[in-house]
Amino acid sequence: MVGVRMMSHSLKRFVPVILMLAVATVVAAAVTEQRQIPQMSAAPNTRPPVGKDSVKFLVLGDTGTGDTAQFQVAAQVWKSRQVFPYEFAIMLGDNIYGSERPQDFAQKFERPYKALLDANIPFYAAIGNHDDPNQRYYKPFGMNGNRFYSYQKKDTQFFVLDSNYMDKDQQAWLEKELRESNAKWKIAYFHHPLYSSGGAHGSEIDLRMIIEPLFIKYGVNVVFAGHEHFYERLKPQKGIHYFTSGGAAKLRSGDIMKTPLTAKGFDTEQSYMLVEIDGDVLRFQTISRRGNVVDSGEITLASRPETKS
Amino acid sequence: MTRFTGVSLIVSFAVLAAGCARTDTAQPSMAGNSTTPAGQAPVPSVPPPGSPPPAPAASAAPDGQPGSNAQGAATLQFQTQIKEYLRIHNEAETKVPNLKRTNDPQEIADREALLAKAIQTLRANAKIGDIFAPEYQPYFIKIVQDDFATRPARDRRALIDELPKNMKVDVNTVYPTTIALATFPAALLRKLPDLPPELEYRLVARSLILRDVKANLIVDILRDVVPTIPS
Repeated sequence: MVGVRMMSHSLKRFVPVILMLAVATVVAAAVTEQRQIPQMSAAPNTRPPVGKDSVKFLVLGDTGTGDTAQFQVAAQVWKSRQVFPYEFAIMLGDNIYGSERPQDFAQKFERPYKALLDANIPFYAAIGNHDDPNQRYYKPFGMNGNRFYSYQKKDTQFFVLDSNYMDKDQQAWLEKELRESNAKWKIAYFHHPLYSSGGAHGSEIDLRMIIEPLFIKYGVNVVFAGHEHFYERLKPQKGIHYFTSGGAAKLRSGDIMKTPLTAKGFDTEQSYMLVEIDGDVLRFQTISRRGNVVDSGEITLASRPETKS
Repeated sequence: MTRFTGVSLIVSFAVLAAGCARTDTAQPSMAGNSTTPAGQAPVPSVPPPGSPPPAPAASAAPDGQPGSNAQGAATLQFQTQIKEYLRIHNEAETKVPNLKRTNDPQEIADREALLAKAIQTLRANAKIGDIFAPEYQPYFIKIVQDDFATRPARDRRALIDELPKNMKVDVNTVYPTTIALATFPAALLRKLPDLPPELEYRLVARSLILRDVKANLIVDILRDVVPTIPS
């Protein structure tokens, strides 16, 4: 008993020191983490949608590896749905890497997303540079036999492009579709990012010169792309909000270069996005493979995003 | 199938006609024989190996001069070859099951392979230069090389780095499905003659290829088009 009391007494003397050490360790860890994981902020798991009658969708890019990471992200994607019941998924290309035999479609798409497919969640895919354009005939990709196509969900119209081969037919089609669209929100998605801080690829300037004038002229609000195996939210460019989300299976760790383009970058873990369009507001959250929200924010029609992370 | 083929033919000819109109008026011209009748091969003007491509005649000769007509004839000849290829493609389409949307990727793979096989049989004697004929090869080479020359070094390097390397390409063979199709530079695509939807241009290593989209078949090859990166 005495011994215990004595120990308690001697421990008391060290309490301030222990506390100081603990605080220092936490601060050091936070600083180290900030250095290693640029702009990442650990945050709670998936947040539920706000709107009752909103358009809710999942964004997946560069998925088709069939490896462990893809399966882990897919499991997280399904977990997210229990909180954020997205109604459909958009795929930003590189849907099937490598060989495209029937067993590849099984291993690189059907098995990882079995839960989503079983729940009848439709996918709408864009073609990436690793994809055979004949994937457009594969029903679960929702392309209806077209390399480029559009569809509408409530007051949002989606324009899905084949950025591998931007020929005149596609440009003419895009201009016509945009011109005729009365949708409140116009969202375009395709594989190659028009703006990117990626060290391996970077901005797709050729493509930008051709399609961005159409986006500006006809009021495209938001653009999603993949190709770069990380997440990047770009600072709005000419009034358009650009996101790169190409890390739902592949990851190019540390590939985000320091450029003035980046509003938020995350390149240390795989990720995907959840998006809700609720009247005049688009809310987004980006979730890491481990389930942390690494970026989130709101875009109001004709405004800049307000980030919350 | 019949309806698809019919529509496809109409679209193809419309695209070809548009291509003719565009290239006749807007593209640079080559020097050559102005009197060559349409559809008949003009006098070949192939530069010796290693020599730089000729300067476009449009910059040397005003429209209406012999150079422009030779260019027009060459373009027409190219499009005649494309039309001939389409005839074969469409004939092959009639020999294989219709391609429908399906849940079974095996059906897509089978159909692609059957179509490729049918075209390979119909073009059993196909060889390099059947479509990229020698008389207008310099024209294509110049377009590609001029395009690369106007790009910043970083952009040029990025484009070249993305191209599949060490890949053997042969006419009338299937494009390997394990190798990514490199993005075709959008600005360059605008400068090349239009193609019908059944065909596309692609760059592989230093070659410009014509690829049948539905059959995933290499239709023709123009080698040594893409410039090398100076070390």
